[in-house]
Amino acid sequence: MTERSVTHATFTIERSYDSPPAKVFKAFADPAIKRRWFVEGEGWEVEEFTADFKVGGQERSRFRFRGGTPICNDTAYHDIVPNERIIFAYTMTIGENRISASLATVEFKPEGRGTMLLFTEQGAFLDGLDQVEGRKGGWGELLDALGRSLQS
Amino acid sequence: MSARSAVHGTFALERVYDAAPARVFKAWADPAIKARWFVAPADWLQLERSMDFRIGGTERLRGRKGSGIVSTFDSVYHDIVPDQRIIYSYDMHLDERHISVSLATVELKAEGAGTRVVITEQGAFLDGYDDGGSRERGTRILLDQLGGALRG
Repeated sequence: MTERSVTHATFTIERSYDSPPAKVFKAFADPAIKRRWFVEGEGWEVEEFTADFKVGGQERSRFRFRGGTPICNDTAYHDIVPNERIIFAYTMTIGENRISASLATVEFKPEGRGTMLLFTEQGAFLDGLDQVEGRKGGWGELLDALGRSLQS
Repeated sequence: MSARSAVHGTFALERVYDAAPARVFKAWADPAIKARWFVAPADWLQLERSMDFRIGGTERLRGRKGSGIVSTFDSVYHDIVPDQRIIYSYDMHLDERHISVSLATVELKAEGAGTRVVITEQGAFLDGYDDGGSRERGTRILLDQLGGALRG
C-alpha cells in the first residue's frame, strides 16, 4: 500500500518575450500552437493532445519519453481573460500514480513592445513521487520552448 | 476595464474528530451527508446544489446571502483516495464577479479511534478582491459544522 503524503509548495517564474501579449496568449489558447511547445520535442511521443480552451473546459495530454511509462497531464480551465490571464488546475500522472495536483496562474503584462509573463504554481506534490524543484525546472524549460516557438 | 491582479495565499487548518476515517471521508463523499454541513450561515437561501464525486466530476453550490448577493461555488475533483485524501479546485463568484480560484487538499489520518483532518487551501484572489481572512474563517466554520454532522 502506498504511504500517502502531501507536500505543498509555491513557485514563480518570470520570462520576457519580444512578442506582444496577444501573441503570447495565443500560444496558450490555440491548441495547434500550444502542442508544439508544450508536448512535442525530440524523444517525446505524443499519444494524445486534446484541448478545449474555455472556462470549464478540459485539456488532456498523454506522452512518453523514448517508449517509457506514459505521462498524463489533465488540465481544467478556471479563468481566462484574453491577452491578460489564464488560471488552470492540473494533475500529473505517471502510469497509474498521480504525482501532483496544482493551480497555475499565468499573467501576461505588456513590457515595451513585448510581454512579461509571470507564472505562479501552487502545488500539492503527492506520496513522495514528485518535488517542487523538478516541477519548477520543467516549467522553466517549457517557457523557454514557448519563447523559441514565438520566434519561429 | 478593471485592473487585473492575482494575490496568492495559502492556509492550513486541522481538526481531530471522534469518528473513524471511513466515516469522515463519507461525510465528504456522500452528497446527502455533505449537504448537512457544507452550508452557509442561516441568512442564506440555497438556490442550487449538485455534486458528482469522482475524479473529473464537478460540484456546484449557489445561494443568495442576506445582503442579496448570490455566491457560487464551482468545484472539480482531481484526486480521490478513499478514506485518505480528496483534492479539488474551485471558483468562487459573487454575483458575476470571479473573486478567487483555489486548490484544496483534504487529508484524513487515523488518530487513535478518530481522525485528524488537515485541509490546505492554496488560493489566487483576483482583481483586487480583498479576502481579509474570510475564506479561512469560513473554512473553520465548515469544519465545525462537519464535527456537528459527525456527532449528529
